[in-house]
Amino acid sequence: MWITIKIAWKNIWRNKVRSLVVIGSIIVGVWSVIFLMSFSLGMGDSYVRNAVKNQYAHIQIHHPEFIEDQEVRFTIELKGQISSIPNVKNYSARIISNGMLSTGHGAKGVFIKGIIPDKESKLSDLDKKIVEGDYLSEDDTKGLLVSKKMIEKFKLKLKSRVVLTIQDQVGTIKYAAYRVSGIYSTGNSMVDESQVFVNEKGLRNLILGDTVPVNIFHEIAIEVSRPDSIAQVESLLQSIYPIDTIQNYKELAPDLALMETQIRTSGFIFIFIFMLALIFGIINTMLMAVLERYRELGMLQAIGMPKLKVFGMVVWETIFMCMAGVPVGFFLGWISVYYFQGRGLDLSAFAKGNEQFGIDSIIYPITDNALFTQLGIAVAITSILAAIYPAIKAVNLRPVEAIRKI
Amino acid sequence: MKVIEVIGVTKTYNPDKIPVYALRGVNLVVEAGEFTAIVGPSGSGKTTLLNIIGGLDRPSTGEIIIGGKRLNQLSENELIKFRQKEIGFVFQSYNLIPVLTVKENTEFVMLLQNIPKAQRDARTHELLDSVGLSDKLNKRPSELSGGQQQRVAVARALAPKPKFILADEPTANLDSVSTSNLLEIMEALNHKENITFVFSTHDHRVIERAHRVVVLEDGVIKEDNRQ
Repeated sequence: MWITIKIAWKNIWRNKVRSLVVIGSIIVGVWSVIFLMSFSLGMGDSYVRNAVKNQYAHIQIHHPEFIEDQEVRFTIELKGQISSIPNVKNYSARIISNGMLSTGHGAKGVFIKGIIPDKESKLSDLDKKIVEGDYLSEDDTKGLLVSKKMIEKFKLKLKSRVVLTIQDQVGTIKYAAYRVSGIYSTGNSMVDESQVFVNEKGLRNLILGDTVPVNIFHEIAIEVSRPDSIAQVESLLQSIYPIDTIQNYKELAPDLALMETQIRTSGFIFIFIFMLALIFGIINTMLMAVLERYRELGMLQAIGMPKLKVFGMVVWETIFMCMAGVPVGFFLGWISVYYFQGRGLDLSAFAKGNEQFGIDSIIYPITDNALFTQLGIAVAITSILAAIYPAIKAVNLRPVEAIRKI
Repeated sequence: MKVIEVIGVTKTYNPDKIPVYALRGVNLVVEAGEFTAIVGPSGSGKTTLLNIIGGLDRPSTGEIIIGGKRLNQLSENELIKFRQKEIGFVFQSYNLIPVLTVKENTEFVMLLQNIPKAQRDARTHELLDSVGLSDKLNKRPSELSGGQQQRVAVARALAPKPKFILADEPTANLDSVSTSNLLEIMEALNHKENITFVFSTHDHRVIERAHRVVVLEDGVIKEDNRQ
């Protein structure tokens, strides 16, 4: 066994250039798969994180019928026990209504969110997304936060007067004048174009009336301290809200779950394509190596080297080439991911395109041990598969013909 | 004691197209300890006969019996095992393993046989001493002359103590000094270890030193002389 392994190891250095080309291609392939996957995971994470932060939070609670109809009357109560659930980091509640925003330059259907300014800023960092003007204060019931996109579209500016047209819980159309107090940008154009924020107090009075208790809302949004605790928090919430609908962000936005799955799937496709290229590279190299050593392989069988050992020798040669390349590829992959994890990969040049989809302009690659394990196993399997054909060639030669070969 | 028995062996290449009759009913018995040269002009069938005796090729008809074992009845894998244990090969172009040292090349077949290290080392040193290469243990074949490489090949062939050595034109690529050295070594080992040597050659220096000369012509044994 050891002599087979020893010869195999020495054989790969007989034609250094050829072996180094294969090892080099393995290094580049492994490195690029790691980097591309980490970049994709980072991009996906940015998309999901932004969507969670700006739109969904980790968990939302609604009246069961609000999900279907979004009618003003389907409300829920904000209960104090939420704050005592372990792993609940922040939470807030919102009054929500569909309405019409009218300005001197046009009108647009919008999603009006009545927020508790203090809690909302903790939950979604909305105060940090104000690019001009001021965030809503607790007492400001006439201020309106509009997105930069809408400002551009309706030629608005700070303190511009706009009118919101809303339907209250009995179906009466109501009009309310607001003044633009702040301009925000979440980085997701699609979301920004469709929603405005006001103080929940003013909106409550307008659509629910002043007789409704102050702890009645349409939506409760919760941020957890660790994403892996979502299920646990959900089950505890269920005991507090037994009849209401509790959904996590993947249920609220299946596209987020799809995004995560797609990234993983595309990762496997990357790996498959790389392995396919690698398999042909190795077959080509090993076939050349076998044909070059035809006489020697014949001699080995002539003097009594069993076919299984000859087969093993060729397989070991490919395994050694992979073993030489994979750790270097892993190291380069890890180094480059580590480097960009700290600094981020600045995609400002494409940021507008990214923003359309809620992805940051700076991407921080993410990697995990599973990727390294999967890739390592994939390369090992590929190298063994790639070795089979050349090894069969080596085994099937006729020693009597091979030893006469010049 | 009979080591090799060749009984009515024929070998025909391309039997279905244009047949080439390499051997036409060869009968030969080689006794233990013989130093036999098979001679004849090119195309006379020397190498074919050696290949068939060595189990590298199969006869079209006839039978080869080595130490009482009929080679025709062995499968490919059994033949490989048989060659490993019973036959030593020396090829015209040395055919050493270029990536291994002289020591590793010599002990190669013993490694395949899982012979313990101490035994292996003792045998390797003994043989390399016999062929005058004990100072080249760690050299690669590429660092040796042709004559030295062929001596390593002889040491390798002898290492597992085979029943006999088959050498196909062992001196064809050697100068006269190397040829003389090699023949001396082979003769000495033939005496010392009572190893049977069968070699094909048309080198007169080899023929002169052979104890028995078998002349092959057109696939038929024409003469069989013991000197």
